Amino acid sequence: MFPEAAMPMPPHANMPDPAAFAEPALLRVENLSIGFAGTAANVVDSVSFSIAAGKTLCLVGESGCGKSVTSLAIMGLLPPKSTRIPSGRAEFDGRDLLHLPRAELETIRGDRLAMIFQEPMTSLNPSFTVGDQIAEAVRRHRKVSHEAARERALEMFRRVRIPSPEQRLREYPYQLSGGMRQRVMIAMALANDPQLLIADEPTTALDVTIQAQILELMRELQRETGTSMLLITHDLGVVAETADMVAVMYAGHIVESGPVEAIFRDPQHPYTIGLMGSMPSLGARTGRLATIRGSVPPPQAMPAGCRFSTRCPFADDRCRREVPPFVLGADGHGAACFKAPLEIHIEGKAG
Amino acid sequence: MTAEAPILETRDIVKHFGGGTGLAAGPLVHAVDPISLSVNRGETFAIVGESGCGKSTLARLLLRLIEPTSGQVYYEGQDLTALTPTQMRKLRAEMQFIFQDPFSSLNPRMKVRTLVEEPLLVHTRLSARERRTRVDELLRQVGLRPEYADRYPHEFSGGQRQRIGIARALASGPKLLIGDEPVSALDVSVRAQIINLLDELKGAFGLTLVIISHDLAVIRHMSDRVAVMYLGQIVETAPVESLFERPLHPYTQALIQAIPVPAPGARDPGDRKLRGDIPSPVAPPPGCRFHTRCPHAVEICHQKEPFLEAAGEGRFVACHRWSELPHRGLTGKVGAALTPGAERRFALYRERSAADAGGSP
Ligand SMILES: Nc1ncnc2c1ncn2[C@@H]1O[C@H](COP(=O)(O)OP(=O)(O)OP(=O)(O)O)[C@@H](O)[C@H]1O
Ligand SMILES: Nc1ncnc2c1ncn2[C@@H]1O[C@H](COP(=O)(O)OP(=O)(O)OP(=O)(O)O)[C@@H](O)[C@H]1O
Ligand code: SF4
Ligand SMILES: [Mg+2]
Ligand SMILES: [Mg+2]
Repeated sequence: MFPEAAMPMPPHANMPDPAAFAEPALLRVENLSIGFAGTAANVVDSVSFSIAAGKTLCLVGESGCGKSVTSLAIMGLLPPKSTRIPSGRAEFDGRDLLHLPRAELETIRGDRLAMIFQEPMTSLNPSFTVGDQIAEAVRRHRKVSHEAARERALEMFRRVRIPSPEQRLREYPYQLSGGMRQRVMIAMALANDPQLLIADEPTTALDVTIQAQILELMRELQRETGTSMLLITHDLGVVAETADMVAVMYAGHIVESGPVEAIFRDPQHPYTIGLMGSMPSLGARTGRLATIRGSVPPPQAMPAGCRFSTRCPFADDRCRREVPPFVLGADGHGAACFKAPLEIHIEGKAG
Repeated sequence: MTAEAPILETRDIVKHFGGGTGLAAGPLVHAVDPISLSVNRGETFAIVGESGCGKSTLARLLLRLIEPTSGQVYYEGQDLTALTPTQMRKLRAEMQFIFQDPFSSLNPRMKVRTLVEEPLLVHTRLSARERRTRVDELLRQVGLRPEYADRYPHEFSGGQRQRIGIARALASGPKLLIGDEPVSALDVSVRAQIINLLDELKGAFGLTLVIISHDLAVIRHMSDRVAVMYLGQIVETAPVESLFERPLHPYTQALIQAIPVPAPGARDPGDRKLRGDIPSPVAPPPGCRFHTRCPHAVEICHQKEPFLEAAGEGRFVACHRWSELPHRGLTGKVGAALTPGAERRFALYRERSAADAGGSP
C-alpha cells in the first residue's frame, strides 16, 4: 500500500496521516528527519502529521523530544550550516516549505505562516515600540501606508483585548507584563491573517490565571479567523483544552497520534500511558503516582529499536532491536508499539 | 490550648526590599506583608500563589536565610530572629532547604560524595569511615547508586540532580524540610519520581514538609494543608480537600478554575472570569489587594483591608464577602473517562513498573 522505505528509514516512516481521513490538510509533514552536526542519531526522526484548515494540532512531549526543532524546520529557522534534513516534506498550501527558495519562504513567513514563541522578549525588539513593530510586520508583506499599518496595529491590539490600546502601542516591550507581551506577540502574528499559526509553548512562562486568559483569547481568535494552529506544549491539560488532534512525541519519534478524545480516553502507547499516569490528579488523592523510570536517552546513546525501550516496562528483545511500525486505526488514532493494545498482547500471553 | 505546639510559626512577619536612600535607593517592594502562619508537626504544608507573590521570600524567612523587616519566626518555640549566629548554625541541622533549580544549586566542581558529605562534616562528629558509609546509604535512600558518588553534578540528569540535592538536605538529619518549587524545573515523568520520593522520605524520616509551588495539582497530591498567597499576603488557609472542594476566597476560586484539566471538554473555558494582571508589589492596591481583579468586589473592598478570620473547620480566609459568596470549587471531571481497555492498560503499566522498580535511579 505504501512505497518501499529507503533503507535507513524505519518502517513507520510511512505513517499515514490521520487527517487524510477527514478534511484536506493545510499543512502536511511527511517523513521529516532532522539531525545536527555532531549528533549521530536524528533528533527528529521520520515524523509525519498534518493539520486541517481551521483545526488545532497539539504536539506534546517532554523536554528535548524535538518539538521546537520540528516547528523551526517548518519555518525554515534552523541554522543551515549545522542542520541536516536527510528526509522529509512539509507541504503547505501546495508548496514544500523545506525545499523552497529563500526569498519565496520569506514572503510566506510572517504572512501566510506565523509563529509565536515561549519567551516573547526574545522575539520583540527592545529598542522599538510594540506599535512600530507590528506596523513594520504588516508593511513587510503589504503595500500600505504608515498610517494604514498603524491603524492595523491598533485594530489588532483591540482584538487581542489589550486595555488602553492607543497608549500601549507607544510602549516598549520592557514596559509590559509577561501576559501583555504574549498578547502583543499574538497580535503581531495574526496581523497579516495567517492561515497557519505555530505557537511554541505560548503560555508556559505565564501564571495560571494569565495562561487561562491567553488560551481563551487564542480559541476566540481561531473561531473568528479560521486560522489553523500547531500548538506545542508539554502540558496535557493545555492539550485537552485546545487540541482537535494530538501527536505525542518521544525522543524524536511520534509514538501516538489521533483525535483528542481518543488520545485521552483510549491511550495506546506505553509512553502516553506513563505520561498520563505521572500527572498528579486534581481529584481525590491517589497514593503513589505512576512513573516512567530513568530518563530520556541522550542523542549519542539512542537505542536502535523503539526509542522508548530503555524506559518501557513492557519492552522485550524485539523492541530493543526493531523500530515498531506506526499502526493506524480506522478512527485516525494510531500508535507505534509492538505491544499495542497492551491488554491483548500482555494479558493474553500471561493469562 | 489544643493538641501539640506547632513546629514552625510566624507572627506578623514582614519583608520589604529596597525603599532606602542613597546606595540602597529603589522602590519599596512589599514582598511579605505581613504573614502569620503555623505548621504542624508531621504535616505537609503547601504555599501556593502566582509569580512574585512572595513565596520564595517567605520560605527564606522561615529558615532565617534572610532577615525580616519585622515580626518573628518560631521554630520549636524558639524565636529564630533572636538567636545568635552560632545558635542559628546549630539549629540548621534540623531545618533544611531544597532548591528549585537542581542545575545551579550544586557546586559544579564538587563530586557528589563531597556534596553529600559536607553537611555531615558540619553537623555531625562521624569519622571519615562512618561518613563514607552514611553517604552511600543516603544516596541509596534517594534512589541513586553509591557508585555514582565519584561523579560530578553535570554528569547527571535534572531528576538525578534533584535527588542529590535531597540527599544533601537529609544528611544533617533534619526534622523540617522546606522545598521552594522542588519539582517545577522537572519534566512530568521525572517530577512524579521526585514527588513519590519526597512522600516516602517524609514517612521514613518522620519529616515535616513545607512545599512551595505554583502548581495546584502537585499541591493537591502532596499536601495536608494549604496557604494561598496573593501579593505578599495569605488570603486563605485550609485543609487540602476542603480548599479544592469549597474554596472560600475569590482568588482561590479563580486559581482553581484556571487550571487546565487533562480531560477534553471537561471545562467550560468561558467560565474564567478573572481579568487583568497581577498588580506590582511596589504599589499594592489599597483595601483588599485582590479587588482590582475580583469579580465580586464592592465598595468596601476598595477601602478596607480584610484580615484573616476563622471560617470553621480549621480554615481561615481574608475576604469581606466570603460568607455571602458562592464557593465554587473544582466542578466537573478532573480526568478523562477511560475506555475499559485503557483502564486495563493503566493497571498493567502500574503492575509492571512496580515489579521492576527499585533497580533504576
Ligand atoms: N541547533 C541545534 N544544534 C544541535 N542540537 C540541537 C539544536 N537545537 C536543538 N538541538 C537538540 O535537539 C533536541 C530536540 O530539541 P528541541 O528544542 O526540539 O526540544 P523540545 O521538545 O522543544 O524541548 P523543550 O520542551 O525543552 O522546549 C535536543 O536534544 C536539543 O538539544
Ligand atoms: N532581593 C530582592 N530585592 C528586591 N526585590 C526582591 C528581592 N527578592 C524578591 N524581591 C521582590 O519581592 C517580590 C516577591 O518575590 P518572591 O521571589 O518571593 O516571589 P515568588 O512568589 O517566589 O515568585 P516566583 O513564583 O516567580 O518564584 C517580587 O516582586 C520580587 O521582585
Ligand atoms: S474582599 Fe472583596 S475584592 Fe477582596 S476577594 Fe473578597 S470580594 Fe473580592
Ligand atoms: Mg522547545
Ligand atoms: Mg519563587
